[in-house]
Amino acid sequence: MLDLPALDFPALDFFGLAMLEVVLAGALAGLVGVLVVLRERAFFTMSLTHATFPGAVAAAILGVSIPLGAAVAAVALIAVAVGIGRIRSQGPAVASGIMLTAGFALGAFLQSVAPLAIDVESFLVGQVLAVTGADLALTAAVLAVALAVWALAGRHLIFSSVDEAGYRRAGLAPWLPETLALATIAGTVVAIMPVVGAILGVALIVAPAAAARLLVRDWRWMLVLAPAIGIASGVLGLWASRWLDLAAGGAIALVAALAYGLAWLVHALRARPAVGDAVPAAVRIPAGHATIETRSP
Amino acid sequence: MIDPFTPFAAPFLGRPLILLVALAVAAGTVGVLVHLRRLEFSTDGLTHAVFPGLAIGAALGGAAGLLPGAIGAGLVAAVVLALISRRGQPRDTAVAIVLTTFFSFGVVLVSLSRGGGSISDFFFGRLLTITWGDLGVALTLIAVAVVLIVATARQQLFAAFDAAGARRAGLPVLALEVIGTVAIALVVVAASATVGTLLALAVVIVPAAAARALTRSLPAAIAISIAFGALTGWAGLWLVVQLATAGVDAAPGATVALTMIAGYLLALGAGALRRRTALRAAPTPERERVAR
Amino acid sequence: MNQQPEPVVEMRDAAFGYGGAPVLTGVSFTVQPGEAVALIGPNGAGKSTLLAGILGLAQHTASVFRVPGGTGEIGTLPQSSSIDPAFPVTLEQVVSMGRTPRLGLRWPGAHDRRIVAEALETVGLAAQRRTRFGDLSGGQRQRGLLARALASEPRLLLLDEPFNGLDRGARDDLVETIRTLKARGVALLITTHDLELARAVCDRTLLVNQRQVAFDETGCVLTLEQVEAAFASHVMEIDGHTLATTEHHASEHAGHHHPLADD
Repeated sequence: MLDLPALDFPALDFFGLAMLEVVLAGALAGLVGVLVVLRERAFFTMSLTHATFPGAVAAAILGVSIPLGAAVAAVALIAVAVGIGRIRSQGPAVASGIMLTAGFALGAFLQSVAPLAIDVESFLVGQVLAVTGADLALTAAVLAVALAVWALAGRHLIFSSVDEAGYRRAGLAPWLPETLALATIAGTVVAIMPVVGAILGVALIVAPAAAARLLVRDWRWMLVLAPAIGIASGVLGLWASRWLDLAAGGAIALVAALAYGLAWLVHALRARPAVGDAVPAAVRIPAGHATIETRSP
Repeated sequence: MIDPFTPFAAPFLGRPLILLVALAVAAGTVGVLVHLRRLEFSTDGLTHAVFPGLAIGAALGGAAGLLPGAIGAGLVAAVVLALISRRGQPRDTAVAIVLTTFFSFGVVLVSLSRGGGSISDFFFGRLLTITWGDLGVALTLIAVAVVLIVATARQQLFAAFDAAGARRAGLPVLALEVIGTVAIALVVVAASATVGTLLALAVVIVPAAAARALTRSLPAAIAISIAFGALTGWAGLWLVVQLATAGVDAAPGATVALTMIAGYLLALGAGALRRRTALRAAPTPERERVAR
Repeated sequence: MNQQPEPVVEMRDAAFGYGGAPVLTGVSFTVQPGEAVALIGPNGAGKSTLLAGILGLAQHTASVFRVPGGTGEIGTLPQSSSIDPAFPVTLEQVVSMGRTPRLGLRWPGAHDRRIVAEALETVGLAAQRRTRFGDLSGGQRQRGLLARALASEPRLLLLDEPFNGLDRGARDDLVETIRTLKARGVALLITTHDLELARAVCDRTLLVNQRQVAFDETGCVLTLEQVEAAFASHVMEIDGHTLATTEHHASEHAGHHHPLADD
């Protein structure tokens, strides 16, 4: 696959490090993307990428760890968004929209006031070729956490995604898996954002999992397929960016989108002979049976 | 208070003010539609989808190519978004994929064309450097969008509240969806090509949400959205001037957007306060569950 | 009347609601292990609120209120399920979700897998266990969700309109399944509009319309007068005979029969 002589960080050149990072980030994004796609949290993820921006800029100004600042800002803005989402006239879509606008505006404002902070373009499209050992370690750590979350709480996450009402009726609290899911998504965004950027981060999280969903009928295969597509997109995109001299972030996101397009094509071709996934209409009760029909007089 | 004309007599402040007021009118119509139909994510998708159009336009025609490119990409993205939302994938995922695909295409184009357009310009705009020509085109686009929404307002409302009912009543729901999304796209294009993506998003999302926090009636929501957009736009620009005289070189687009967010939070507080006084505490029966 | 075993559900003078005015009042009944109780009443009578109250999802007041309290001890079959047909889950996975309350963060063992297999066997869907849930027919999905409820080994099963939208064969299968469950000692509370099926499988019947109208042996409760009182001023069909109760009729019967219901 790739020419790594050994997994010795200092021995790798910047391209090798970038390759290792996109493999880790692709696997992580694929795993967490299944959560995002099955729970329909893509807009939330997108908003989250923007919500981390002011934290990253502030951390750069204050000279503390950028992922730490991003995490603090993300948690703060999620808290605000959850509060807004609970107001009946506003709702979760408005909350995500406000979180996105506020995060973006605050970050841009801080950035313009202290221009030395961080580069806006790298925030949006990432600097995968400037990845450091610390970035790699953070991505690997969050990957381990995501694996543990799926292993321990996977059935809770899926049950509450499939049928939240049923989950509640079974005597379980839906806010627990919801909080766990949001925290995992937030951790992922914070880990991969500084390296791959906001837009690419969302592409890498959503597209492979959405492609996998189109191809399989069992969510456990999504957990295998989505990271595989994520890694393949990362590796192919990075190679393409090197040989065709393109922006690495954009190239990786485009390959991921291409994978989704292919999956969609396969899905459409497969669905054609079976006349779609139409739900069979319920058979009506035969007449003459003893029933009570309540109608208005 | 502050004389609204003295600072804004200078054309570099007068033109943005005119544009922001026009965008406030868009906020009262297009923004309210976005709020009612929960299209916030689609709007975000459109703002990013415009990017490759800007890149292509800049590569082909320089500064003059920006708007035609943006309009083309915006319309394509609007139709794609309206169509894809009817297919099997959930809307949320579909929008995310369209958004990232269009945007990364733009990023790759910019990296190919070597210094054609600047990504920062696209996001934060050139609020203070727009020309009369830019302003004229932007106002025209906004006017078209507002006319599209106002002309179909009754049907749009019906479809927003009860899509199934509207379909049964024989309304062309898909056409309405395309018209609505195109109107959003036109506003987004007008704003993106002049004041930047950030402010385009803020103008479409924030005033309508603030209005909904304050009122339940639709006509009042429209009026409040327009007033809110105009007021916060003016206050934001004034703040930019004050900061500049104080020696702080703040990004104008971001400053205006932050002013809107601050206004929104105030509106939320006012709304919550009013609801609290109106709320009467309902007695809750005690619960006793015998556990075994 | 029969007080031999400890009842699974017991309530006296219970009222149910969602914070405002109560939706259903004056409810007093018991469900014994191995017994099926039919819950009958017109739309808006408060049947679903009663079920939600048993689950702790609606508020209640009562002088006696005893329901199974442990996780997984109550299984439910909802009237309609919001499961997205395109969601990539197999039938077996949906059924094993019913096991989740008993598992916590533990991985399912051989014992859990056997219970899931038995639940699928009970509803007669063992052959379809690898099929995607969304690809099953309406009746099969209904039985699949029943199997999910069974997988938590409930002491009480709440079935909300389980016969709706089923064809004759599917109904007979469901009646058979209910009989099997009763024989195993599971208590069932079943809402239905179908009086014939209520007679076929339910030992006792709880008749409600915003308040309790009657609770006794099914044969005694489902008389023309009682049902008329509960369904006052509605057009109805009983045993193939359509009858239209007039306003006059309805008010007269309502006056006569409500006092009876209070004991």
